[in-house]
Amino acid sequence: MNRFAFFPGCLIPARHPAMEFAIRHTLPKLGIEIVDLEGASCCPDPIYFKSKDKLSWLSVAARNLTLAEDLGLDIFTNCSGCTATLSETYHLLEDETLRAQVNERLSKIGRTYQATSRVRHIATLVRDVAGYDAVRESVVRPLEGLKVAIHYGCHLLKPSRIMQVDDPNNPTVMENLVTALGATPVRHRNWYLCCGKACQTEQVPDDMMHDLLGTVNEEEADILCMICPTCFGQFDHGQMKVSRKFDEDFHTPPIYYFQLLAFAQGVPYDKLGFERQRFKPECLRRFETAPQPAGDPAHTGAQGKNSA
Amino acid sequence: MSKARRDSDSAGSASTPPADIVRVNFEFRRELARKVEGNLAGFCYQCGACVGDCPSATYGGGFNPREIMLKVLYGLGEELLTEDSILWQCTNCYNCHERCPQDVKPVEVIISLKNMLSDLGIYPDNVDKVIKAFEETGRTTPVNPAVQRQRERFGLPPLPPVPVDEIRQLIEPDNAEPRAGARADADKGGTE
Ligand code: SF4
Ligand code: SF4
Repeated sequence: MNRFAFFPGCLIPARHPAMEFAIRHTLPKLGIEIVDLEGASCCPDPIYFKSKDKLSWLSVAARNLTLAEDLGLDIFTNCSGCTATLSETYHLLEDETLRAQVNERLSKIGRTYQATSRVRHIATLVRDVAGYDAVRESVVRPLEGLKVAIHYGCHLLKPSRIMQVDDPNNPTVMENLVTALGATPVRHRNWYLCCGKACQTEQVPDDMMHDLLGTVNEEEADILCMICPTCFGQFDHGQMKVSRKFDEDFHTPPIYYFQLLAFAQGVPYDKLGFERQRFKPECLRRFETAPQPAGDPAHTGAQGKNSA
Repeated sequence: MSKARRDSDSAGSASTPPADIVRVNFEFRRELARKVEGNLAGFCYQCGACVGDCPSATYGGGFNPREIMLKVLYGLGEELLTEDSILWQCTNCYNCHERCPQDVKPVEVIISLKNMLSDLGIYPDNVDKVIKAFEETGRTTPVNPAVQRQRERFGLPPLPPVPVDEIRQLIEPDNAEPRAGARADADKGGTE
């Protein structure tokens, strides 16, 4: 088993527990052992608290990293915002002056940042540690024929020099993760746009979201898949707002990748918390009743009885 | 500024420089350079590569990262550090960081400017709200009994409180911060 310290952040554990459930359910099936971090705080968020005082922001982020250092483990995040904060902290604290300043603050609470724990986004953890084949092998319900539009969001990829995850101009990690489920990834024209959450005006994110959902719709995608809970909120709650404002129905259910993976690994639709979404991925239900391919005894068995 | 130039400007009085001459406010630039990565605008050569993929420039009216860097170079702090500052239109998408050939990281300069707004205490209410929640609870998303019940439904353990006292000790304002960060040479000699 590969062991990694789990940095859950704020948004997923408190607002989207279904996502956390999906992560805890799916990773062990891919040979990844989750080790919980005790005493973790908000990363802190790269939009609000970072805007207040970058040095305090770095210090709190460094404290979170030291929790993983105590365990001698690399740390993984399930939110692109947390990834941005922790990866950037790791990067910035390579600077000795800055590291000394941060460590001076950390000394007040008896901690020292040592830069011994690397930061990974959960999507790259699956790609680099488990591998796409392991994902494919874990699937009991291949999502054949499901058209999945992809939203990369910002901080999985950028700034690429710090994230070092994928080519920011032509990434593949999400496409490959979706393909491994048997589904068909769709790259819409506005794939590189962001979710707009950090923008403190209404008009910019609304117009951007309107354009983005328009192109997802053109591709006739069944769902829009993402790996960040902030993006998810923008595409669920935010989509409702934009639909009203422009009086257009895009009806594009957003879905967090690990819930889709859990579903493909056989977790029933009704156990994945989709009923709490404003736009529900009902299109997935057809895979619960569809005949399963040969070679999966659990499902062919059940199916055999039903059709007999 | 030459004496001849000043004399020829009929509109300006002796104490007001003519409108077409910009006086660089180095005080503002030094203040900004004290923030982590706040000194990077000094490397900007105004190429505009940061603008093309900037969503706030594309969808917003009047937001332009190159222009913001220019204002920083001129030290036009009073145009940037206002109650309804345009800085808040940035989406933090990092496209400008990706595109800039000079490693200016415009988004980081913008965030450093927001740090200055915070020093001045002029902040949008919703930003302030999230920061307060973090400072009080160590989290930005509130945890309440309803959240804990939701978690239980998914078989997840209750969320423990964050050791907020430790967080507070880290974020207590420390007035005597030395100049921070890499590339501290960027603004040297900025006293002419
Ligand atoms: S891309 Fe960089 S150098 Fe060019 S204008 Fe923008 S900040 Fe300045
Ligand atoms: S981070 Fe801000 S300034 Fe930079 S491209 Fe994105 S919206 Fe524009």
